[in-house]
Amino acid sequence: MGEIVAGFGVPHTPMFPALVKRDGPQCETAQLYRAVAGHLDAIKPDALVVFDSDHLNTFFLDNYPNLSIGVTDQTTGPNDGTPELPPYTVPVSEDLAGRLYSFGLQSGFDLSLAQEFDVDHSILVPLHFLTPHMQLPIVPVFINGVVHPLPAARRCFALGQMVRTAVEALPASSKVAVLASGSFSLDVGGHLSPRGQFAGTPDVGWGDTVLGHLQNGRINELLNEATSERMARAGNVAGELLNWIAMLGVIGDRRPRFLEPQREMGHAYGVWRWD
Amino acid sequence: MSIYYVHKIAQQVAKDPEFRERLKRDPEKAIAGYRLTDEERRALLAGDVGRLAQMGAHGYLLGHFARNEVLGLHMRNYSQRIHDPGSTV
Repeated sequence: MGEIVAGFGVPHTPMFPALVKRDGPQCETAQLYRAVAGHLDAIKPDALVVFDSDHLNTFFLDNYPNLSIGVTDQTTGPNDGTPELPPYTVPVSEDLAGRLYSFGLQSGFDLSLAQEFDVDHSILVPLHFLTPHMQLPIVPVFINGVVHPLPAARRCFALGQMVRTAVEALPASSKVAVLASGSFSLDVGGHLSPRGQFAGTPDVGWGDTVLGHLQNGRINELLNEATSERMARAGNVAGELLNWIAMLGVIGDRRPRFLEPQREMGHAYGVWRWD
Repeated sequence: MSIYYVHKIAQQVAKDPEFRERLKRDPEKAIAGYRLTDEERRALLAGDVGRLAQMGAHGYLLGHFARNEVLGLHMRNYSQRIHDPGSTV
């Protein structure tokens, strides 16, 4: 009886809260988040499944999960000192999270279970702009987008399909939206960052390719092209694209109602609605 | 366990203020207990993130050294160091 009602995709650049504070509500970044937030407010979902790639702040390489679901009643953060981001407590829908976890296991996804964790800028920068009162319960689904080799794009897409099936099998009526967090081309602290910059966009062309596929609903092409090697060439955190791919798995073969890139930054803001 | 402990040290720089201070005070002593190869140890103490990246270290984690200004790194010299292994700028 549950229903998937919308899909969203946004970046989570750690400097954005400070940038928007400095440049005000009319700056491009503030306007783009506001446009997405307007759609989210109009949809009024009961819960938000967030596909996210932890930047080795929540989990570490002692036992880094490729796919994990946070099953708890709340989480906090940021745990990585993001400038101008206040400390937040975010409600987690423990019931939905638990159902996705067990439905996932029964469906053949060997998900890791996270029951005590805090989260970094990659979840909280989007929520800071989209749900600043932190009133909307989330379900964090962590996909490894930063430690190569990455999980396969088709597997992440199938994970999204599983989430859709699990939501539709919920016993009670519930409107669930899904959010993808991340960039298509971005390198932070690596040798693909432009000389003279700590972080940057090594592969604007790959971002354009991804945008074209998203705009035209070319899911199969996107899944074929988004290999671990291809994403590695687009930067050391460009695997965050897998979060968008999982989101597409949830919402299916649809065209975006809104898709606005910040090309030079290697990312975009997207809204998929069909109401 | 090559490179794992380089990552571990980077993570502790970000997460553990007490370790961060020890690393600033006496880098050699602070990393003495970690199972590093001689080459990893040399590159770490030289702040040679370019060489560490060549050895397979993750740039996102190496960046913690610059963010926290340890091992002679800071946001102004990091880019040249990551691009030019052996650089001492």
